[in-house]
Amino acid sequence: MQDPDPTMQSLAREEQDDLLTKLTGLAEKTFPSLLVPPSPTAHLSAMLELKAGVGGSESSLFLTEIMRMYTRLAQMMGWQAVVVTNSTTDHGGTKDAVVEIKGEKVYDMLRWESGVHRVQRVPATEVNGRVHTSTVAVLVLPLVEDKGSEVDEDLFKMDEVRIEVMRARGAGGQHVNKTESAVRLTHIPTGITVSMQDERSQHQNRRRAFLVLRARLMDRKLTEEVTNRRDVRRSLVSSVDRSEKIRTYNFPQDRVTDHRIGLSLRNVASVMDGGGLQDFLDGLAKKHQDDLLEEAFNTL
Amino acid sequence: MRSHYAHLGLLSQLSSALGHESARLELRWMMQALREASNRQRGSSLAEMVARRMSGEPLQYILGSQPFGPLNLLARSPVLIPRPETEHWTMRLSEYVTPSASRPISLLDLCTGSGCIPLLLCHLWPSGSVRAFGVDIASEAIQLASENTAICGFHTPSDNPPSQSPSFRNTFRPILSDIRDPTFLRKSGLYPPFHVVTSNPPYIPRREYDSLPPSVRDFEDRRALLGDPDSEQGDGLTFYRDIARLVANEKLLADDGVLAVEVGKGQAKDVERILQDQAKLPKTTIWRDPWLIERVVVATR
Ligand SMILES: C[S@@+](CC[C@H](N)C(=O)[O-])C[C@H]1O[C@@H](n2cnc3c(N)ncnc32)[C@H](O)[C@@H]1O
Repeated sequence: MQDPDPTMQSLAREEQDDLLTKLTGLAEKTFPSLLVPPSPTAHLSAMLELKAGVGGSESSLFLTEIMRMYTRLAQMMGWQAVVVTNSTTDHGGTKDAVVEIKGEKVYDMLRWESGVHRVQRVPATEVNGRVHTSTVAVLVLPLVEDKGSEVDEDLFKMDEVRIEVMRARGAGGQHVNKTESAVRLTHIPTGITVSMQDERSQHQNRRRAFLVLRARLMDRKLTEEVTNRRDVRRSLVSSVDRSEKIRTYNFPQDRVTDHRIGLSLRNVASVMDGGGLQDFLDGLAKKHQDDLLEEAFNTL
Repeated sequence: MRSHYAHLGLLSQLSSALGHESARLELRWMMQALREASNRQRGSSLAEMVARRMSGEPLQYILGSQPFGPLNLLARSPVLIPRPETEHWTMRLSEYVTPSASRPISLLDLCTGSGCIPLLLCHLWPSGSVRAFGVDIASEAIQLASENTAICGFHTPSDNPPSQSPSFRNTFRPILSDIRDPTFLRKSGLYPPFHVVTSNPPYIPRREYDSLPPSVRDFEDRRALLGDPDSEQGDGLTFYRDIARLVANEKLLADDGVLAVEVGKGQAKDVERILQDQAKLPKTTIWRDPWLIERVVVATR
């Protein structure tokens, strides 16, 4: 490169720059995609199960807000969110809910939301101004496409499922005209049970119960696949402990912290509006990508 | 917030009548119905609905509808509200008998009420596989069944004689007639035999009638419930004997046909015997409902 000719010199420099760009490109794009295979779950939508945890009515109020956070996010992303079932409390809270979110890469983007979400704030009803801590448990399940039929041969067989109606009806038939549409499914091999009673239509309740059952079984299958891959235990994000506290929404300090990636964001409102949530999702996705990459290097 | 308190008040009222769990669900369904109706016309308010419910009126009449399988049928007093037990066995029958457009069948539903049984079968079976007829003595029932038929899209074009109605569609025709009148088939322009005969006839014995829940006794047609219309006593099985006679004397059922009748709790064995002895249908099976009560007798030759 010590060529006395200035033209040659600049040519060499250009070449060098070129090479650098190419190398960086390789390092940032090509290597990872060579080492880390494309996500096998990219096509899956998601089903979110939300359950109020500690904190009584404050917890169920927060659940309503979390649910709104995810439906807002869905709107921004152009996904379709449908509340499949929810049981509301008498005070505008929600004890539990199932939300179906359909679209491209929904499951891949949302799956790290599984875990315990903690809120710290002064409840509207608290007269002494004391800060309470309450929790909501979020479970993100992979949603397989609804093929119209109840069975999904890859996941279960019809004779493995016990279908029960829930309440007694006395003599039934013409003697009784009370609406009785609640359904419970039990997947006998795994013991998974799903109950559904929100709809007046037994048929609808049954359809939705099967939808949830399929999602739970799919989740099981994926989790098994993950734990069967030996190196994954080391990764922080993908260790799927759903009872772990993953994020704190601290209203007095106006701060949201994700405990797995250590990311803290000011402005709780922007997170609850869905927009701020994207920063966490991006951070978590990056963390996952890095984990996979590290895994891949270690096993080269 | 104010509407919140109002709802709480309504919920606690309703809870006192139905229990908390049912009250919560029913209030929610009322609110849903109001939201869905709000685009068209707002008939009544939530408070009015709750007041009607508190007075014992069935939810289905208040909301004006009842789901039946994937169908959503109109419900209107005094026509009997379709029951989940009936829904269940009708779905099962749709898998037990499997007609196709190349092997179409005819079906007769006796005591058709809202038309729920034939309409669900028309919906579940392939297009062009069934021509169904239903008979009821109550003009309110026939009116409602006709509306339901139109909503579901199974009406017969009235300007065509039945034999020329397009065969690529399933059709259902409700007919006003008294099945206990020995000449009703001829009068109704019905031509036996039928491949499938279904019926959920009135089966409640007189002695059980007075202790029925008020939402049944005071709002649903007694003609739809009382199993022995001409008698103050009885086992509630009059209609099964009439149906057996039709099968035996009028060749109602095709040789390879299927008869399916719903029965009340504890009646299955007796009805089975009536169908074997009087209808001369030797092969019978009893189907249980989801609550494990013997609910349907299916009979063939
Ligand atoms: C228990 S309801 C069944 C209605 C409907 N099939 C269902 O399953 O919801 C019995 C029906 O039989 C009708 N019915 C009573 N006596 C009759 C008769 N003699 N001839 C025809 N229909 C009759 C009643 O009007 C009523 O609609």
